[in-house]
Amino acid sequence: MEPYELPLTEASARIKARELSPVELVDSALARLEQVEPHLNAFACVTADAARNAARMAQEEIATGRYRGPLHGIPVGVKDLYDTAGVPTTSSSRVWEGRVPDADAVTVEALGRAGMVLLGKTHTHEFAYGPITPTTRNPWNVGCIPGGSSGGSGAAVAAGVCTVGMGTDTAGSIRIPAALCGTVGIKATYGRVSRRGIAPLSWSLDHAGPLTRHVTDAALVLGAIAGYDQRDPACVDVPVPDYTQGLDDGIQGLRIGVPRNYFFEHVSTDVERGVRQAISVLEGLGASVREVEVPYAELTLATEWAILMPEASSYHQKHLRDRPDHYTPDVRELLEAGELIFATDYIKALRVRTLMQRAWADLLDEVDIVVTPGMPCAAPEAGATDVTWEDGAAENITFALTRLTSPSNLTGLPTLAVPVGFDPAGLPVGMQIIGRPFEEATILRVGRAYEAASDTVGRIADVTA
Amino acid sequence: MVAPNRDLDTQTVTTLARAARLELPADRVDTLAPLTADIYALIDSLDAVSPGEVPPATAFDARRR
Repeated sequence: MEPYELPLTEASARIKARELSPVELVDSALARLEQVEPHLNAFACVTADAARNAARMAQEEIATGRYRGPLHGIPVGVKDLYDTAGVPTTSSSRVWEGRVPDADAVTVEALGRAGMVLLGKTHTHEFAYGPITPTTRNPWNVGCIPGGSSGGSGAAVAAGVCTVGMGTDTAGSIRIPAALCGTVGIKATYGRVSRRGIAPLSWSLDHAGPLTRHVTDAALVLGAIAGYDQRDPACVDVPVPDYTQGLDDGIQGLRIGVPRNYFFEHVSTDVERGVRQAISVLEGLGASVREVEVPYAELTLATEWAILMPEASSYHQKHLRDRPDHYTPDVRELLEAGELIFATDYIKALRVRTLMQRAWADLLDEVDIVVTPGMPCAAPEAGATDVTWEDGAAENITFALTRLTSPSNLTGLPTLAVPVGFDPAGLPVGMQIIGRPFEEATILRVGRAYEAASDTVGRIADVTA
Repeated sequence: MVAPNRDLDTQTVTTLARAARLELPADRVDTLAPLTADIYALIDSLDAVSPGEVPPATAFDARRR
């Protein structure tokens, strides 16, 4: 087994025991990057020299007794939306071509304090405005999309290049590539992780978080980046627990809600089968399962897009007038259309969001978590504009890929994406586990219980052209 | 809520864009009109609920119950 193939916790244990040096691990990751990047194009920018220097520094620190913890020396790819001091940060857009920030995003600083080694910046759908990431391909089938907008991170983690990839999530952009690339991904509670230094898409819906190969990895990274930041107005001053504590305590007695409406409508047979099998696994581990009605679900897309579009257009208002040709056509169109949404419609959507949040709070009094499909389908082919369902209906790909994930952005609820298997074409399918506000530990414990009882989590794609 | 359908032709899109101080060449308007019509239709589905006295949730607030 090559070092890059090691699960994070095993690599970490070997680094701590000085059986593996961060230099060996980073060299192995960079060799893997060189091997697969021509097929994936997951990276907007690779920082190989800086990564090797950082790995040497980590090795020296560990050798001299300054071990920082389980993320020390672990390679990470950071979405090109996050500011990284001295490293080009363009949000995968010509609009920001040549932009080099002089400071790290708060979360990047936190990863640095934990000793993680930056391998490079991973591609995003331009300014995170889309679920495709057209620059990049899916490691399980390079003819397919990786999902987005954190598609570079999803592809890099699934291909074994990075042990961890950082993402952002406004309508599902961590969970979409996690599901389509077969990785774990966590969008914590709104306000749990600072977004300062990350280009916004929609301030009231944006979240930051990791994509990882295993559930424990997600717990470790979330522990490193979570916390109050008084300069992010969304941040909430709630103590950060050790998310690895109790991770293996099991789920005996946990009450799981499974939606009877919306979440299984226009979902592929393979996805439905995989998710229902996963729910049976959780039931077999001692959880109780009951059907629930998800409130206002049919208004999800209307509410999400009525909020997201004007917020995004507001942020891009000046650039859209100064250099409209620098945007890719799909993003430019959405930004222009967002300019034409009435304030009264935007506020109406915000009021519907209040109703949704209240109703979800009531729902999560009845059950501890809600489990749903992560995506309605496996990864679509690159270039597809629609998803066609078994009844012949065609659905716009952007709406198809965001309709199951958006409820957690509107409600702010913590949600974990976990792979549950593969379809007959060898493409991953996944579930999402939705919990109560600030109960990330619960959804991680459920994800970990499923992971331990199955063999679907933590696989690395071969990547063949 | 009972409201008439929005009447959205290319001229209306041009007028709306001007009101937003966004100059759009004719070919852009042709592209934008159908997308905007789709987005308006989506947003109009919110008419299915009556928010009454419900205030807006500008973001998630963990303290709100």
